[in-house]
Amino acid sequence: MGGALVFWIGVLTVGICFGALFMFRSKTDPTLWRTCTILSFASCYLMWGLTYLAQLHPIIVPKRDDLRVEL
Amino acid sequence: MASRSWAHARPRQKTTSIFRSEVMSLVQLYIPSDVARYTVSQLGELGLVQFRDLNAEVTAFQRSFVNDVRRFDEIERKLRYLRAQIDLSGVEVYDFFDSRFVSTARGPRDIDDMEERIAAHEGRVQRLAAAYKEMHANHIELIENMHVLQEVSSLFTEITGRQSQAHPRSGSIAAASPDAVPLLARSDTAASRRSIGSMDAAGAFDVELGASAAAAAAATGRDINIGFISGVIARDRIATLERVLWRSLRGNMFLNYVDIEAPIQDNTAEDGAAPVYKSAFIVFAHGDSLRDRATKIAESLGATLYRVDPRAERRQEDLIDTMSRLDDLRLILDNNAVARANELAAVAEHITTWLAVVRKEKATYHALNLFNHDANRNCLIAEGWCAANDIPAIQSALHLATEDAGSTVPTVLHELRTTKQPPTFVRTNRFTEGFQNIVDAYGVPKAGEVNPGLFTIITFPFLFALMFGDLGHGFLMTLCAALLCIYEKKLAWMAKDESMRMFYSGRYIVLLMGIFSMFTGFIYNDIFSRAMSVFASGWAWPTTHGGEGVIVEATKLAHTYAVGIDPAWHHASNSLLFTNSYKMKMSIVLGVIHMTLGICLQVPNALHFKKRINIIHVFVPQLIFLFSIFGYLVFTIIFKWSTDWYARDAAGQLTHISPPSLLNMLIYMFLSPGSVNESERMFRGQAFLQTFLLLTALVCVPWMLLVKPLIMRREHRKITSEGYGRISSHVRVSTEADGMAGAIIVAEQEEMQADDFDFADIMINQSIHTIEFCLNSISNTASYLRLWALSLAHAQLSEVLWSMIFLPTLKITGSYKPFAIMFGFAVWFVLTFGILIGMEGLSAFLHALRLHWVEFNNKFYDGTGVKFEPFSFKAVLDEADDQQ
Repeated sequence: MGGALVFWIGVLTVGICFGALFMFRSKTDPTLWRTCTILSFASCYLMWGLTYLAQLHPIIVPKRDDLRVEL
Repeated sequence: MASRSWAHARPRQKTTSIFRSEVMSLVQLYIPSDVARYTVSQLGELGLVQFRDLNAEVTAFQRSFVNDVRRFDEIERKLRYLRAQIDLSGVEVYDFFDSRFVSTARGPRDIDDMEERIAAHEGRVQRLAAAYKEMHANHIELIENMHVLQEVSSLFTEITGRQSQAHPRSGSIAAASPDAVPLLARSDTAASRRSIGSMDAAGAFDVELGASAAAAAAATGRDINIGFISGVIARDRIATLERVLWRSLRGNMFLNYVDIEAPIQDNTAEDGAAPVYKSAFIVFAHGDSLRDRATKIAESLGATLYRVDPRAERRQEDLIDTMSRLDDLRLILDNNAVARANELAAVAEHITTWLAVVRKEKATYHALNLFNHDANRNCLIAEGWCAANDIPAIQSALHLATEDAGSTVPTVLHELRTTKQPPTFVRTNRFTEGFQNIVDAYGVPKAGEVNPGLFTIITFPFLFALMFGDLGHGFLMTLCAALLCIYEKKLAWMAKDESMRMFYSGRYIVLLMGIFSMFTGFIYNDIFSRAMSVFASGWAWPTTHGGEGVIVEATKLAHTYAVGIDPAWHHASNSLLFTNSYKMKMSIVLGVIHMTLGICLQVPNALHFKKRINIIHVFVPQLIFLFSIFGYLVFTIIFKWSTDWYARDAAGQLTHISPPSLLNMLIYMFLSPGSVNESERMFRGQAFLQTFLLLTALVCVPWMLLVKPLIMRREHRKITSEGYGRISSHVRVSTEADGMAGAIIVAEQEEMQADDFDFADIMINQSIHTIEFCLNSISNTASYLRLWALSLAHAQLSEVLWSMIFLPTLKITGSYKPFAIMFGFAVWFVLTFGILIGMEGLSAFLHALRLHWVEFNNKFYDGTGVKFEPFSFKAVLDEADDQQ
């Protein structure tokens, strides 16, 4: 896993966006569909990727003081 | 369509997407006079042309078709009157809309017909209404008269009755008086009979007075005028009347009154005023002057006076007469009401149709007033803007009109070449309309420039979702919006309602906002402030030790939580430390990317308006400036995240320094460039890179500031030195049209623009632009931190609601726990809807809008366009409906 996953999913997203350029030729308004698809995929990927990266090598650890210990 | 390669992915010239506004052309129509009305009618139904006012210097009263407009104004006034009458009388208006009559072309005879019928109806209704009013007034007078007759008789008997009790001597006289016989049996209830005035204060006195008067009457045997006035007055005024009379007549009066049980309508009030309680009164005073004074006072207090004969039998006759007249009048009034109802019902069937037709005709003549009316040539010249793609549709409409009119002379459409700026027509459908509206609220796109509305469709809901991220709230929002969208036809009335209009017209925006909020809620791992454990967590809590108050730490496992924030953070007490850092960094990264998109949109604009200088000398330095500072920041954020700062090498030594602070790094990059503290260095060559980037950014500033104006000045000098002046491109000559006899040359010379190359002006503009960009690059990037701030507020609020309102009810013990849970859930859910979805939703909406309007738009957007408003009957009818 690790950072490489983010990279490869990124490549996949770029591929999807690229494909979206050619996928919507039959629609009445291909520009609309293309733009919406590309922007959606790009923004969703960015959000996921940043969240994943933020938790890859965390600097602080979670602490709690109300843990119930099972006996 | 042939297969398109990447090169054709750019917008073509006649595009119908909303990336750019439509290509508009200025068209000129040569319309023969007899076809004119039909043509405008057809174009109005089509709604694709915006006419220009060719008679701008002429006032409204001097235009050619002002009489026709007046005529239709008059008809509309009559229709409004009829409408008001219908509403008043409560007749039901049929929604019978004769769409055939309304939508097809109407001949002048049809219009005249309609006008006659409306005038006839209006005349009849008016007459009936006037007659009703008169008779109603009469009716009230007769009723009051009847009451006065009844009450006054009884007052007479009461007085004579009392007199007989007090004075046995005059009692015999009284017995002889015909007044002793009561006319009508009246029950003597204390409530309704009250003698005020002199009677109570000095009862004996008045009795004597009455007795002496009666004695005098009996003695002389003739009818003396006992000097009274009688009438009707509102109940609450009777005390005032008594007081004023007492004071002004110095006690030489006697007032008696009786309340009338049934309320009577006040004649002086308007129609429909509530009936008022009144009393019949009688005031005795001797002497004409006193009586006159009493009359004036009574009338000034709003009393109506009725003459009552003192003799009993005359009163009896009067009463019978009045009552028969009342019956007759009631019959007539009923007939009148029935006749009016019939008339109005006949009108009600057609009134919606007529109103629509009249409004359309009026709009047609208003449009005709804009045309150039050439009386000699018997034709009208119209000029207007329309989308180039719509010209075929307009041509066919013109043909239809010619057919309708039965004419053989066709209307000619002629496209003009012009450099005038056309209005902006962005062809939206019901999905894109909402997003375009929020862009237009900031500024309508200039004709030909890139329309941010296209990108707003996704970026706006996404930025909203970053601030609103909660799976549960997003789901509720999606649900509501989906309902609005699925039932949009049935809910179309909401578009007219003031309070619901915004939600209805923004239903697709809310739908997308909800869907994206569900996604970000899933990533933030927040569902109604709870966390989900969909995937395997990347942290492990210890199992051996723990307990209340004992601080434990989780240990990191090999894998990371696959999608979203690890649920282990949800239970942690230091979770805010992590989420704040994460959200802030994410906001900056996404903000820089959003702004980059904005800057890059300058390129299509520059290419479209053929200003390549803008690309090389504005776009490139701006991009380099932004990237060298904030692109570097984004790089370091990702770098810091990707580095395992606690990795140990084979010997167990830490391979990296302790994680450096990025904020300090950025600050010291500016404060002490070229030197990076060893203990804070993230990678080799960092000092060199930072210096390089700083110098690059520094170089970009004069580049942005000076190069473009200097190049423009050099080009201008080249042009003027070669002897070319600045030509005025605003002379427009319209040549003769085919098929029209004679040449019509309309040459419109607009003002020659002065040679407007002012170097100082351009320099100032450019320096403002540069300074603005450089300063804004910092403030706008920081502005994106609101994405973090609002999502923090939302999460905390949601957490508070859960843990303070609903959670305690789950923990209580006792038999009333189910009720407590029900109540707690109800309160929690209502507050969730009201505060979290309603208030926070509006707040996040506003902030996302601000981010678009300021941070995104000021990178590329001009927004100085004028919206295209075609001449459309639909718009006219909608506007009229709104005003009602």
